[in-house]
Amino acid sequence: MVRFENVGMRYGAGPEVLRDVSFALDPGSLTFLTGPSGAGKSSLLKLVFMAEKPSRGLISLFGRDLARLKRADLPALRRRVGVVFQEFRLLDHLSAFDNVALPLRLAGHRPAEYRRDVEELLSWVGLGTRLQARPPTLSGGEQQRVAIARAVVAKPDLLLADEPTGNVDPEMGERLIRLFAELNRFGTTVMIATHDRALVESTRAREMRLIDGRVIEMRSNR
Amino acid sequence: MSESATREPRQRRAGRILPREDGAISLDLVIAVMAFLAGLALGGVLIAQRTAESWQAGLAGRITVQILPEGDSAPAREVNAAVRILSGTPGILHATALSDADNLALVEPWLGRDAVVAVLPFPRMIDVQLAAGATPDLTALEKRLKAAAPHAVLDDHGRWIGRLKNTANSVVFAALAILALIAVGTAATVAFATRAGLAAHHEIVQLLHLMGAQDRFIARAFEWHYFVAALIAAACGAAIATLIFAAAGSLDQLGVSSVSFLPPLGLPLRDLGWLALIPAGAAAIAWATARLSVVAALHELY
Repeated sequence: MVRFENVGMRYGAGPEVLRDVSFALDPGSLTFLTGPSGAGKSSLLKLVFMAEKPSRGLISLFGRDLARLKRADLPALRRRVGVVFQEFRLLDHLSAFDNVALPLRLAGHRPAEYRRDVEELLSWVGLGTRLQARPPTLSGGEQQRVAIARAVVAKPDLLLADEPTGNVDPEMGERLIRLFAELNRFGTTVMIATHDRALVESTRAREMRLIDGRVIEMRSNR
Repeated sequence: MSESATREPRQRRAGRILPREDGAISLDLVIAVMAFLAGLALGGVLIAQRTAESWQAGLAGRITVQILPEGDSAPAREVNAAVRILSGTPGILHATALSDADNLALVEPWLGRDAVVAVLPFPRMIDVQLAAGATPDLTALEKRLKAAAPHAVLDDHGRWIGRLKNTANSVVFAALAILALIAVGTAATVAFATRAGLAAHHEIVQLLHLMGAQDRFIARAFEWHYFVAALIAAACGAAIATLIFAAAGSLDQLGVSSVSFLPPLGLPLRDLGWLALIPAGAAAIAWATARLSVVAALHELY
């Protein structure tokens, strides 16, 4: 599903933020990416969802070497990946409904086809009464739930989440993790970056620890 | 049930991918002003062209013979002699001597109708109409005229038509140059605004890109955004220019003209139609620049 081999990454001429990172995510697996702030968790996720290119090493996604892919092949690959960004990155001028529907719209679906699914999903994350609310009028936790709903709505093959429970209360955090686990059970490969130990301990999933740009510990709880 | 029924119409259409950004009004205003100026320049080109054609048509096939008033000459006798020679020349349809009243009418727009004007020593004029396609030997004709009327001067308007043509051509070229400058200015303005819009919407563009939107999907959102904005704004500007020319045309028809020797500033309906090209052109420029800018910006992303 995802394979990194000796991957290094630096921003511009700065120091390497990731060094000799090698790992593989099996299809249908659930993995926590942990480590202190600044360890490189977000940078590693950016490499996986193709927001950045590595400065060295090999990354393959869905069995395809990213360095060899043509630019025109990337959108189809990106649509197979759902991302929950740490800073949510919702479109402020669109309603919660339209934000969540965006991946389906990009995939060419019509509103009539996805309306019911999007409404159900928003209800499931507790926003059934706020379908038409715009992100600036939502609380941090509500925005995070919209971002999560947007990432999972198209049932992606790979789901990446960067601190997905950072702004919600423990009860909602648990509910969201259940949503990820549910998706995982139906075959989606999930990788969650977090430094919430309680969240990691609450499941028996694999943990990958990043410290100072290196994967120093890999523990399989399965 | 009833709630879903009331909610449905609002959800049937997906929200716009791009928000209408702040500052869009000033961009629309700039495009409208550019289109208005382009309309004036295009109208100027059409008026100059039409005037040059009418001048040439008015003077083509005509020559003028003047009997200059000098010393003890006998203009009336020389006029009669010249008219006789001209009338007997093959290729000349008719030769008509202008009366004193005709002469005064000719100079009236410049000198007025004062009594002193009537006593000025004007040359006597003979208007000569050539047969269609006739090319009489003007040098030989002038020699024969000089023999019978020593103060006769033959003017085939060649120099005058040449100067008029040069003047009209200069006006046409100047107006075309202004039109070209305005087109470049409009393109640059739209390109600048598109880039500014892209910078303002960088987050949206990057997010859509990361979510797997095709370049053409993102480009289309920008293209249509600027195409429609430029079309509406330029249509307003061109409409104002059209109204001005139409109003000037109405004044011409009512016989109200500010300066009698200037060409009429109105444009006929079929010429006004050309002004419709301006919004179409502005929208096309906006569309193309938006597309090029967005595609270039997207290619800078991974």
